[in-house]
Amino acid sequence: MARLFQNGKVWDSDEKAMVPSDLVVSDAGVIESLGSNLSVPEGAEVIDCDGCLLIPGMFDLHVHGREPGDEHKETLASCAEAAIHGGVTGLVLMPDTSPPIDSGNLVKSLQDLVSEYSAISMLPSGCLTKGRKGEQLAGFSGMANRGIVMLTDSGSSVPCPDLLRRCMEYAKDFDLLVTTSCDTTALTKAGAVNEGKVSYQLGLPGIPAMSQEIAIDRNIRIAQHTGARLHLQQISTANAVKSVSCAKEVGTRVTCEVSAHHLLLTEEDVVGYNTHFKLAPPLRLETDRLALVEGLINGTIDVIASNHAPHTEFEKSADFGSAPFGVSGLETTVLSIFDGLICPGIISWELMIECYSNRPRLIVGRDPVKIKEGEKAEFFVFDPEGETELKRDYFKTKSPVTPFLGKTLKGAIRKTVV
Amino acid sequence: MSELKPRKDLLDIESLTLDEIEYVLENAVPFKQLFQRSVKKVPTLRGKTVLNLFYEPSTRTSSSFEVAANRMSADVTNFSVSASSVVKGESLLDTIETLQAMRSDYIVIRHQAAGVPGIVAQHTRASVLNAGDGYHAHPTQALLDAMTFREVYPDFRGRKVVIVGDVLHSRVARSTSTLFNKLGIEVGVLGPGSLIPEGRHGFMQRFGSWDEVFDWKPDAVYLLRVQMERQEGQFFPSVSEYHKMYGMHSTRVQRMRELGCYLMHPGPVNRGVEITDEAMGYEKSLISTQVENGIAVRMAVLHWLKPETQLD
Repeated sequence: MARLFQNGKVWDSDEKAMVPSDLVVSDAGVIESLGSNLSVPEGAEVIDCDGCLLIPGMFDLHVHGREPGDEHKETLASCAEAAIHGGVTGLVLMPDTSPPIDSGNLVKSLQDLVSEYSAISMLPSGCLTKGRKGEQLAGFSGMANRGIVMLTDSGSSVPCPDLLRRCMEYAKDFDLLVTTSCDTTALTKAGAVNEGKVSYQLGLPGIPAMSQEIAIDRNIRIAQHTGARLHLQQISTANAVKSVSCAKEVGTRVTCEVSAHHLLLTEEDVVGYNTHFKLAPPLRLETDRLALVEGLINGTIDVIASNHAPHTEFEKSADFGSAPFGVSGLETTVLSIFDGLICPGIISWELMIECYSNRPRLIVGRDPVKIKEGEKAEFFVFDPEGETELKRDYFKTKSPVTPFLGKTLKGAIRKTVV
Repeated sequence: MSELKPRKDLLDIESLTLDEIEYVLENAVPFKQLFQRSVKKVPTLRGKTVLNLFYEPSTRTSSSFEVAANRMSADVTNFSVSASSVVKGESLLDTIETLQAMRSDYIVIRHQAAGVPGIVAQHTRASVLNAGDGYHAHPTQALLDAMTFREVYPDFRGRKVVIVGDVLHSRVARSTSTLFNKLGIEVGVLGPGSLIPEGRHGFMQRFGSWDEVFDWKPDAVYLLRVQMERQEGQFFPSVSEYHKMYGMHSTRVQRMRELGCYLMHPGPVNRGVEITDEAMGYEKSLISTQVENGIAVRMAVLHWLKPETQLD
């Protein structure tokens, strides 16, 4: 059935502005017409969008889908539902499943699962090293032939610099993007929170900022040496932003991402041992947070990525030191950034769309989504005057574990069209 | 003193008000006087049950709580979990279920993971007494230290204590320094850079050597136990170097004697590491007073906390 979205403001990607317009989506999911006072096509459903914004679907570069292997945390179906619920219409699946996606055959079976269970585009990534063990190169060519969009051992770093070098050299032949989590295992050890005042007060082992910074500097250096394309996941410190900025200045092929959590929260939020704030990398200082926001605004940080890493509430109910790292993010990234950064006028929708819709697609070689006649309809209806109460039953993910659980955020996602 | 709000749990020092601290420390005094009598028992907690739950090996703290509870006429159950059956984080909630079913009125808990007593407290109606959690807190140790210090220095405000050793891995350093600071006692620290964390409380000034410490004229030196079992990394080159740099030996005892400075230690001591045999005999050592006061303070805490089980 065709649908008429009436009285909304539509993001015009050429004008870079919200333009008042009606919009018709055909039965086949194509944007048929845009304009003011469109008549209702016969039999069409009319959706009143008065006061609402129609925004291109977001694209998340960093999602742990958990299937196959950890279906109790999330399935591809629940992950897709959560994405749609959060205004995300495309994403990259991390390969840290059981088994890890490290061969062409495993990519194929993941793609089969995706086509069976997901209504949205879920692109596969493949491991850098076999089994994510950091010992041997994974089967790049088989995975490349199956269409992976990046190589990553996401969630674990490649400890040996020589192996990472070989990975990058080899990946370059396939023009595959190498994506790394940035962590120096030997410094992080059993750390649970940022090392500093809070780790001292809580008596928890700390993760020093330099654990990420050394890894970033090392990985950038290897990328410079090899000429490979590098994407850095989950930047969390002011010095990390500086390193990326310096690397870009000299023309290094490097991009990086930041999560909504690191843009909005700090180590102070961990006081009280709430494991919903236990992230990897950990939440840092207010000065780091401000540097990340600044880096996003000045373009040093290319994209926002949720690092959607669901763990069940039961798993997260362990003591802070033992609880797993990571929280869900697909359903809270748009809302929390609207509430914390767009509403107070710190960043614009333009930057948000650039960082969470356009650039992440470009990084994995996809065209940005536009709300234009003749294009596939991929957008969400956002009510800036609305409010969203993030109660447990709001969530579509199987693991409603997030720092924002129980909070009420400004703005509401009314509908996602995909 | 204003009327105190009833408190269910004792989890850390940070959350205590000055009134509450005074209340506990003042009540500990008559409990201690009781120890001089032939009958050392009061009927205060008759019919109540205390569960002593130790996930980490401990003889001293565990028996101190047991003696305290016995002297209050409570029924005590000791539940120690052997080090080999390390309790996985996942089963914590199940364990709490079990504890809740035992319907104890007080749960004394020591756990290797910081924050566990707080989780237990949230899920049970019993009063939870933190007997040490990871590197986080050891509130009854801090209270007994304060009681001990105040006995020898009734004019304790503005006095100075230097804490020596492994502050990084010490819940005692965290709790005791916080409490001393709340009471207006100045706190300094001495130890190798690798064991004195950058993020420590701002009120703890750091000294570079014993000479600097003695120039500061401390009223007490508080030696921490060198946590041999927690030195997973290489925090100092050798025990003998540690002893040479930071240990208490006769020369330093002599300096303390000249200053009239007291010696404290949370026990158990590593003889030959943080302190020599001869220094153990220092006449102004408060180490055994600390042990005795530990029982009195724990009785005062049991007396003070109000379990929600009493609402039934």
